[in-house]
Amino acid sequence: MNEFKLAQPQSVGQATSFLSQKPKGCHIMAGGTDLLGEMKNGIIDAEVVVDLKSLPELSFIKREQNKVRVGALTPVSELAENSFIQNEYSVLYEAALSLATPQLRNVGTVGGNLCQRPRCWYYRDSQILCLKKGGHKCFAFNGRNKYHAILGGGPCFIVYPSDLAPALISLGAEVIIASSKKEKKIPLEEFYVLPKENLLQENILQPGEMLKEIQFPLKGSGEKSTYHKLKERGTWDFALVSAAVNAQITNQSFKEIRIILGGVAPIPWRAKKAESVIKGNRITQSLLQQAAQEELRDAVPLTDNAYKTKLVQSIMSQAALSLVKT
Amino acid sequence: MAEKKFNKKKESSPLSYHEEYRDKKTPQPQKTPSPEKERFTLISGYTPRIDGERIVTGKAPFTHDINLRGLLYGKILRSPHACAQIISMDLTKAKNLPGVKAVLQLKKEKVQYVGEQVAAVAAVNEFIAEKALKMIEVEYKTLPFVVTEEEAMKKDSPRVHENSNVQKFSDYSRGDVEKGYQEAHAVLEKTFKTEIEIHHPTETHGSVAKWEGDRLVVWDSTQAIHNVRNGLAKALNIPQSQVKVIKKYMGGGFGSKLGLNDYTMAAAKLAKITHNPVKIILSRKENSLTVGNRPSSIQTLKGGVKKDGTITSLSLINYTSGGIGRGDRCSEPMIDIYRCPHIKVNEYTVYTHTGPSRPTRAPGHVQGTFALESFLDELAAEIDMDPLELRKKNYTTKNEGGTGIPYSSKGLDQCYQIGAQKIGWHRRNKIPGQSNGRFRKGIGMGTQIWWGVGRPETLADVMLHPDGSVEAICGTQDLGTGTRTYMAVIPADTLGLKPQDITVKIGNTSYPWCGASGGSTTTPSVAPAIRDAAVKARDYLKKMAAEKLEIDSKNIGVADRKFFNQNNPNQSITFKELTEDLSREKVFHGEYVGRPSGYAYNTFGAHFAEVEVDTQTGKIKVIKVIAVHEIGRVMNKQTAESQVVGGITQGVSTALFEGRVMDPSIGTVLNPNLIDYKLATSYDSPEIEIHFVDIVDPRINNLGTKGLGEPPRIPIAAAISNAVYNAVGIHVKETPMTPDKVLQTLKEKEA
Repeated sequence: MNEFKLAQPQSVGQATSFLSQKPKGCHIMAGGTDLLGEMKNGIIDAEVVVDLKSLPELSFIKREQNKVRVGALTPVSELAENSFIQNEYSVLYEAALSLATPQLRNVGTVGGNLCQRPRCWYYRDSQILCLKKGGHKCFAFNGRNKYHAILGGGPCFIVYPSDLAPALISLGAEVIIASSKKEKKIPLEEFYVLPKENLLQENILQPGEMLKEIQFPLKGSGEKSTYHKLKERGTWDFALVSAAVNAQITNQSFKEIRIILGGVAPIPWRAKKAESVIKGNRITQSLLQQAAQEELRDAVPLTDNAYKTKLVQSIMSQAALSLVKT
Repeated sequence: MAEKKFNKKKESSPLSYHEEYRDKKTPQPQKTPSPEKERFTLISGYTPRIDGERIVTGKAPFTHDINLRGLLYGKILRSPHACAQIISMDLTKAKNLPGVKAVLQLKKEKVQYVGEQVAAVAAVNEFIAEKALKMIEVEYKTLPFVVTEEEAMKKDSPRVHENSNVQKFSDYSRGDVEKGYQEAHAVLEKTFKTEIEIHHPTETHGSVAKWEGDRLVVWDSTQAIHNVRNGLAKALNIPQSQVKVIKKYMGGGFGSKLGLNDYTMAAAKLAKITHNPVKIILSRKENSLTVGNRPSSIQTLKGGVKKDGTITSLSLINYTSGGIGRGDRCSEPMIDIYRCPHIKVNEYTVYTHTGPSRPTRAPGHVQGTFALESFLDELAAEIDMDPLELRKKNYTTKNEGGTGIPYSSKGLDQCYQIGAQKIGWHRRNKIPGQSNGRFRKGIGMGTQIWWGVGRPETLADVMLHPDGSVEAICGTQDLGTGTRTYMAVIPADTLGLKPQDITVKIGNTSYPWCGASGGSTTTPSVAPAIRDAAVKARDYLKKMAAEKLEIDSKNIGVADRKFFNQNNPNQSITFKELTEDLSREKVFHGEYVGRPSGYAYNTFGAHFAEVEVDTQTGKIKVIKVIAVHEIGRVMNKQTAESQVVGGITQGVSTALFEGRVMDPSIGTVLNPNLIDYKLATSYDSPEIEIHFVDIVDPRINNLGTKGLGEPPRIPIAAAISNAVYNAVGIHVKETPMTPDKVLQTLKEKEA
């Protein structure tokens, strides 16, 4: 790790002004579980680390009249332990509980989870200059790619590793982005960008901007949600494939449904084709199979990751059917 | 005579490791009384780890914790290339960085793998040391390389050493396999693969070196303090008497810390130049690249079996790769476990441009057992026989498949019986894969054989102090297995004391000689030596007590911190009263002198596993494991059970998750961390039930005890593999059995 300066802003305004002054070598630290790993492994050289832990006012879970607000600095464990979240938003509760380990969930934050960098092992090796680090080649494409993207890939084939992002998108969450000039609110779904749009980062944050808050609507009547995650080992593992499903069920059919897949694409993957197959129809195993197949029509597996298509089929119907059963 | 050379060996290569523990010629008879008749109170009981509290409360000092006045931090520059010529190296800039105390070039000509050490720096802190590494200018000329076993086997692939990458290194044959195949009712051939594993001990490798004049003191995370001492003396050309190696607490080694390491030498050299102590602790990444691995294997087995289950022939062709080092000899289980008249083995090592192998907990046996035991279940299915019956049908009481010498003791039949009963063997699918549905359960088992004898000439002392305190001293090391605990249990039991009455001293080359802690040799070396010393101390005190009590010393009993008249227990003298008559501390020397020849000494065991396979996702869940081991008399069941739990957890881990991933075009390890190199977590641990067969080896040593380091690691992957076979009707045939491979296998079955 190189030497760096630590900035401990006393307000969001101060934080964004630090960020806007030194846009290049300036990095935001929330829980630090990802950033410190990147610094120690020499993936990034930080000149200034802006430590948001000095802003405890960014850590909260608030239920308001028509929405829930979650501060970006809220530890993931608090999300998982919040009884309101547990009761109303299964998808979020299950996603929070599925990620990393109790220790990491205590330190890691909601905002950090949404802004984490990819786990691609080529990206994480400081001696490999891949596309994502400004190089000229995606080494995963012809290399070892069992954990890489089958959808939306190219020219870089990372998968976006967040568990909370698919869950929150399924809830229709929006994020508040702060900068030294103003605040803006956008749907979380539009926060992420594919590599073909921007190779160097996974979201739309501009220099000087930071994720400040997450908001999502109160649960509607008949709305049910769940998060299913397949991982190799029992815990402390990123998703091979995951599915966040939020649906409104009436008369054994999905009136509304949102399906967001994790572990398959460089962004949380909204399975819109599958959704439109399912929507309004009577729920059967074969309908769900058909929906998955429709979604996977665009899948382009690499040398080692074709098995993920099978996992998508399995997890999508598994997750959707579990909503009908409960 | 052959055993003399044991202590002279430096770090073992995988092959010598086998030669060392292969126990054929055991010349020295053991003079101590037959161990079977002894009765014990503490030995074989449940004594909690005497250092457990110190360890879990963070008070036990590990090598990482050593801090000395003036300590400098050493860091190693490592090759970024899998194969390259070093054209030039300029240390000037690094040397001129303020805070840097010394910079050393360690490699001059060629580097052969990513991570090979090239230069070293000592600086006042880690930041500066790391910064200095970046200022060392090395010009490389990169050369063609090959990092995967399959690629290295191709004729035109770049050569790792002077000769071809594929080298024959182990042959064995008995009988005539072709004849055996002709006699067989069914003949099968299958190929099994195992991936390279990294040891990943909790405590990464590291050393602290300090010179006191011409005398060198090294704190090392090692399984072999005496090997490190001798290695340092030789490499630095100084007398062994001038080197002291200390290892207090240890976070595991699993075979990767058996000798002198290159970074320890670097620390010693940097300390010499700077006149300051130097500490070099390797990172998790360095651990993944450079301090050993378990070689991979591609094993093709062929076997013939008669209708009644008689195995007529077995043959094995094995291609095994340990990087620039040698592969593992995987044939020993096949050669020894079953009565089989015809066997043929050809093993080849395949060299690649990756870090050298080192012995890994049961080298060769882990890979060999996975393949052999999986294969046997297919043979059994071929003749429609219960796989356990097949094993019993070919049971032998002599080694080398019944063609060799008798085992001194063998309780494998009892392992089978207990294991089958406890797992509910009758519940298994009678035909592999006969069950339906998404989730399919299966039960399977695997057999274990290993050595587990002691090293003759192991020394230990018991020291009595006039105030009644007692020391047990041995130059061994505790890897975390519980050596310290039984070193208290044995003298306490012998002298009628409690474990807490004994002060245990280990981990220092100034103490009586003991060999490396590897190969399941520590307990059968240290326990009999300490017992020998304790018996001498007890007999000495018995004589003193006999005089005091005015009775014959053979009527003296010991218990509850007292020496008493066995005919009249009220007549007694306390241990403390007795030792008060000692004018000074008294030392009793103990030794493990050896065992009679003409017998084979082995440990045995069987694991039974129940699994559930999710046929949609390819995920395997190990539900339950019954482990039954025969290791002679168990010294302390509490720590022995921990050892078995550890072995099973590691076995589950490598069966399902672990494997080094190499990038073929860059030549580097892609998962040099504990996120991408997946070790099993407590979530993945099955329910584990442990049993020890109640057998005492009558000859092996004065306690009748064998080793337990390796055994619980050996059969678990095979048991899981066979349980999966029992569940879905096809073997995955390759570790780790990850969802992608399981799904692929199921697809092959459908097709």
